[in-house]
Amino acid sequence: MVRHKAKVNREVCLSCGGCIAICNQDAIRMVEGKAHINDSACIGCGICINFCPVGAIGKVDAV
Amino acid sequence: MKYDVVVVGGGPAGSVTARFAAEGGAKVLVIERRKEIGVPVLCGEGISKKIDSWGMLDGRNWISREMDGARIYSPNKTMVKLSAEKAGNETGYVIHRDLFDQELARKAMKAGAEYMMNTKAVGLIKEDGRIKGVKAMHFNEKLEIEADIVVGADGVESNVGKWAGIDTTLKPKDIESCLQYTLANVDCEDPFTDFFLGKKIAPGGYIWVFPKGKDVANVGIGVLGSLSRPGLAKKLLDDFIKSDPRLRKGQPLRVLAGAVPVSLPIKTVEDNLILVGDAARQVDPLTGGGLTHCLEVGKIAGEVIAEAVNEQNFSEEFLMRYERMWKERIGKKLERNYKVKELMLDLDDKTLDKFADSLKDYNFDEFSTKGLIKALVKKHPSLFVKLIPFVKG
Repeated sequence: MVRHKAKVNREVCLSCGGCIAICNQDAIRMVEGKAHINDSACIGCGICINFCPVGAIGKVDAV
Repeated sequence: MKYDVVVVGGGPAGSVTARFAAEGGAKVLVIERRKEIGVPVLCGEGISKKIDSWGMLDGRNWISREMDGARIYSPNKTMVKLSAEKAGNETGYVIHRDLFDQELARKAMKAGAEYMMNTKAVGLIKEDGRIKGVKAMHFNEKLEIEADIVVGADGVESNVGKWAGIDTTLKPKDIESCLQYTLANVDCEDPFTDFFLGKKIAPGGYIWVFPKGKDVANVGIGVLGSLSRPGLAKKLLDDFIKSDPRLRKGQPLRVLAGAVPVSLPIKTVEDNLILVGDAARQVDPLTGGGLTHCLEVGKIAGEVIAEAVNEQNFSEEFLMRYERMWKERIGKKLERNYKVKELMLDLDDKTLDKFADSLKDYNFDEFSTKGLIKALVKKHPSLFVKLIPFVKG
């Protein structure tokens, strides 16, 4: 089974911080002004992906 | 570096807290991660005129336009109008949030608060589990700012609260996914704030059109997190703008994304720590409005902090005065409007149309969500039984 992780497209992110407030794994931080997801903390639940008002967060296969 | 109080975040809640703490004699530092107070403007920019009587802002440069009232449109565009002349009390302003925030900061500075820009809090200083200050990055310089009280005014992310061990994580049903444009070249002759409701228009939220001038408007959307899909807020707002004859030719001066907490209140006090504003979830869960609360709650927080500094008592027990006082002031409203928010979620578009139809000629006795809810309860008592205790008086 392929596990997924969430990943932010920095070009699309408008830095609203909603994903940080909603992440129950505390896996997201602002890094250089954009949301950044810590791979090792992300459980791939997809909550932040659905929340993003501009669709800046996508799924990638976990390595 | 040692202060009585360090405030993390120079938005309205942080600046008002800083001001009243400084006026009460505390040595206050505000740190702000951005390069300019009030920028970017993460807001619909509407506020009630009741702030006039509080005297917290000088001048008028932060007012963009005075409103005559509000209009709420149901899914089939039935309009419910709340106007000043009908309701007989104050309505609101559409403001320039950047200038508004800067005016509040200026007042805090005048009271003696110090500000540091481009300064990001990265953690708390703790000794034997006790909060002793804030670790921060100022440009590329690492700072340890010692303080007896840390104020978390760091907005929806509420990192300070998290670091202090308070569960600030918002469930998807308790946060709005927002997008907002400032549009020029629109046709907004009437000085009314407009709200558009409906499951297809903005599930679990609404679209707002707040005219800043006759041809400029703040136009935005909130979609409830639990009903959101990737990029849905942007798609629905763009569709709406294309379909609205007043907005169709509008061009964006700016675009912003936002996130607004619409939850029940959380714990806002620990030993040596206070949360204010969006970080404390002091937002009306029904409207997403939080600006007036920031002024009300910030004043209480600042005054309690000044007392704590005078008595050198920074315990949770002492600081609980703040939590009791702010809940006394706005707690009942937040609780009531959370219930209304939940009830609204169960209503289909047809029911909303029916409600709007029943209220379209109603004479509201006050210009507020309470006035609106009172009217709904009166017209449809069986549906809103749960709300009756909240609208007495």
